Amino acid sequence: MPSSKRMAAYLAAVGSAVVSAALVSADPLPPDTTYRPLPTMPFSDAKALDEAQKPQVMERQEQLLRQRYDLADRPMNGVMMSGGKNAVQDGVRVRLPDGVTWDDLAAMTPEEIKERGVLPDGFKPLPHVKQTAGGQVFPDRQIEEIDRQESRNLRRFDVDFDLPDHLMPEFPPPIFLTTHPELGDVSRGELLTIKNFYEILNGIITPVQMEGLRLLLTPFPQEEFNQTEDRKVADQSLGVACLDCHSNFNTNGAFHLTPDVRPQASRFRLDTTSLRGMFNQQIHGSKRSLRSIEDFTEFEQRTAYFNGDHVSATRKGANLPDRTNQVAMMAQMQNIIDFPPAPKLDPFGRLDPSKASEQELEGERIFLGKGRCGECHIPQTSFMDNNMHDLKLERFYKVGETVNDFVMLPDGPIKTFTLRGIKDTPPYLHDGRLMTLADTVEFFNLVLGTKLAQDEKDALVAYLLTL
Amino acid sequence: MLRWTAAPFVLAIAVLPAAAQIGNPGFMGADTRFDEPGALAPHQTNNSDRLFARLIAAGGMAEVEFGRLSQDRAEADAVKDFGRLMVEDHTTAGDKLKSLAEEARIPLPDKPDPDHARMRKKLEQLEGEAFDIAYIEGQIVDHVKTVQLLAWEIDSGQDAQLQRFAAETLPTVLHHLQLARQVHSELTGSVPRDTLAAAEADDQEQDPAR
Repeated sequence: MPSSKRMAAYLAAVGSAVVSAALVSADPLPPDTTYRPLPTMPFSDAKALDEAQKPQVMERQEQLLRQRYDLADRPMNGVMMSGGKNAVQDGVRVRLPDGVTWDDLAAMTPEEIKERGVLPDGFKPLPHVKQTAGGQVFPDRQIEEIDRQESRNLRRFDVDFDLPDHLMPEFPPPIFLTTHPELGDVSRGELLTIKNFYEILNGIITPVQMEGLRLLLTPFPQEEFNQTEDRKVADQSLGVACLDCHSNFNTNGAFHLTPDVRPQASRFRLDTTSLRGMFNQQIHGSKRSLRSIEDFTEFEQRTAYFNGDHVSATRKGANLPDRTNQVAMMAQMQNIIDFPPAPKLDPFGRLDPSKASEQELEGERIFLGKGRCGECHIPQTSFMDNNMHDLKLERFYKVGETVNDFVMLPDGPIKTFTLRGIKDTPPYLHDGRLMTLADTVEFFNLVLGTKLAQDEKDALVAYLLTL
Repeated sequence: MLRWTAAPFVLAIAVLPAAAQIGNPGFMGADTRFDEPGALAPHQTNNSDRLFARLIAAGGMAEVEFGRLSQDRAEADAVKDFGRLMVEDHTTAGDKLKSLAEEARIPLPDKPDPDHARMRKKLEQLEGEAFDIAYIEGQIVDHVKTVQLLAWEIDSGQDAQLQRFAAETLPTVLHHLQLARQVHSELTGSVPRDTLAAAEADDQEQDPAR
C-alpha cells in the first residue's frame, strides 16, 4: 500500500493531469494507424506494381516457410480425412533450432528458452504472405472451382496462396447434417455454390435453411474483392461469399488478418475455422467472443469482409443483412452442420473401450490427465469449454520482433476451438502455424510444460485421429 | 534492474529480410520513383515516412529532455535510473534517425511538439514524488504511442532504411514500456501489471481430470 504521503503525491500528479487533459487536447496518432487510407494511385498503376513484385513476395514467404517447416508430402499410412480424399499428414514438421532436441526444449524453463532464443520459429506467429496488404487469400482449388462454376474471379494479382495442398483440408469436404445423420455426406462430392445448392439440398433442408444457404453462397463486396480501384482482383468483382472460405461449411484453409487489432503490422494471420458443430458453440470469433451465431453472421460483414473498418465498407458497398429475415435464416442453416462421424466415441465424447485400440485409450488418458488437453477441450461439450484462454506464448520468445513486415506481439486470449473432426482441418492454431497433429502435441507439450515421453505423444496423436 | 542490453537490436536485425518490400502500391504517391517496376529507388519516402520521422524525432528529443530533468527533480532511484536510460537510448536512436533522415532529405524538428512542450512545462513545476509519478505516467503514455507509431511505419512507410530502423527500435521501446510500468507499480504500490507477461513460472498441477 502506498503511504499517505505517496498517495497525496499521486493525487497531485493525477489531479494536474486531469486538469490539463480537460483544458487541452493532445494530438492523436495519424488516422491510418486505425483507419484504412484512401487509394492514391490509378488502379492500373497499382496492379502493374503489384504484379511486378509478386514473384519476390512469394519467394520471401516460401523462404520463411521452408526455414520454419518441413513441408514434404508425407502421409500417415492408411489414415484419411472424413471424405476419403486427402491423407492425414504424418510427423512433426516444425524445424528445431540447431543443436537442440524436443526433449532438451521440454527440460528448459520458458525463461531459458527465451533467453537463448531457441523457441522453434514454427511455434511463433505465422505472417500473412503480404502483411502490408493483408486481406483474404484463397487456395488455388477454391479459385479454380469458383471460376468453373460461377465464372467469378477469386485470384489476387498481388499474392498467391502459400501452403501446399497436401497440408490443407480435403477439397471439397463432405457435409454432415444434424437433421439427417442417416444420409451421411450430403455434398455429392461437389463444392456448394450459388449455382448448384438448390438442386443438391432441395428436399433435405427446410425453406428457411435454404434461404439462409442462398445468402451464405451469395457474393458481396469485400475489401480486396469489390468494384473500386482499391481491390486486388483484376476485374470489378462481385465480391466473396461466406462459403468461399468456409467451403461446404468446413474450411479450405483460406486466410486473412485478424480484424480486431491495429496497426496493420501487428494484425495476426487467421486461418479459416470450420463451421462444423456450430450448434454447440457458445462463443464465436477467435478474439471477439461474440455470443451468438446470429451476432457473428451479422458482424462478419464488418470484419471478415472489411477488417473491422466500417468506413471502408461503406465506400465499397457494405451488405447489412436484415437481422430477423436474413441473419436468422443464415444461422438456422449453420446450426444444422454436424461434425464428421466419430464411431469410436460414446455419447459423452469418451472412447468406447470395445472399439478403441490400447494406444488410443492410452492417448485419451493422457489427454485428460498428464497432457492437460481436456482441461479446456472437454469431451462432453464437443471438446470445447466455450471460453477464451491466453497461452502466454510470449513467455518463450522476445516480443516485438518483425518478420516479413509482421510485428510479432502476444496473441492474448483466443477461444478454445473444438477438436471434433480435427484431423480434417489442418493447419492448426488460429493462424495455422502448425502443420500436423504431431506439431500440435509438441507445441502444447512445451507451452503447458507437460514433459510427455515419445510414446505418450504418439498415443495422443492416435487419440486425436479418433475424434 | 533497469539495465538494458543491446540484445533486442541484435535479434531484430537477424530476422529482418535483406530488403523491405513495397507496401500496398494503391496507396503510393503519384510521384514515386522506381529503379524498375516494383523496385523503389533508394530513399523514396512517402508521407508516412516523413511524418514518422518528425514525430519520432520530436518524441525522442523530449525523452532526452525529460530524462535529464529527472536527474534533478526525481526522488526515487528507480525513476532516476529510468531517466538515465531514456537519455542514453534516445540519444543513440536520435542520432541514428538523424543520419537516416539526412540521407532521405527529411527535415526534422528542432524543438519538441506541443504535447511534449506541455508535459515539460508541467514537469518543471513538480518535484519529489509528484514528479516521479507524473513523469512515469507520461512515459507510459509516450511509449504506448511510440510502439504504435513504430509498428505503423513498419507497415505504412516506404523508405526501407526507416522501416528497418522502426523494426530494430520496436523491441527496445516495448522493453522501456515494460520498465516504466514496473517503476510505476513500485511508486504507487499497485500490483505489478506486467503487460509483457513476464516470467511468472506457472506451477503446473498434474491433476486436470474433471
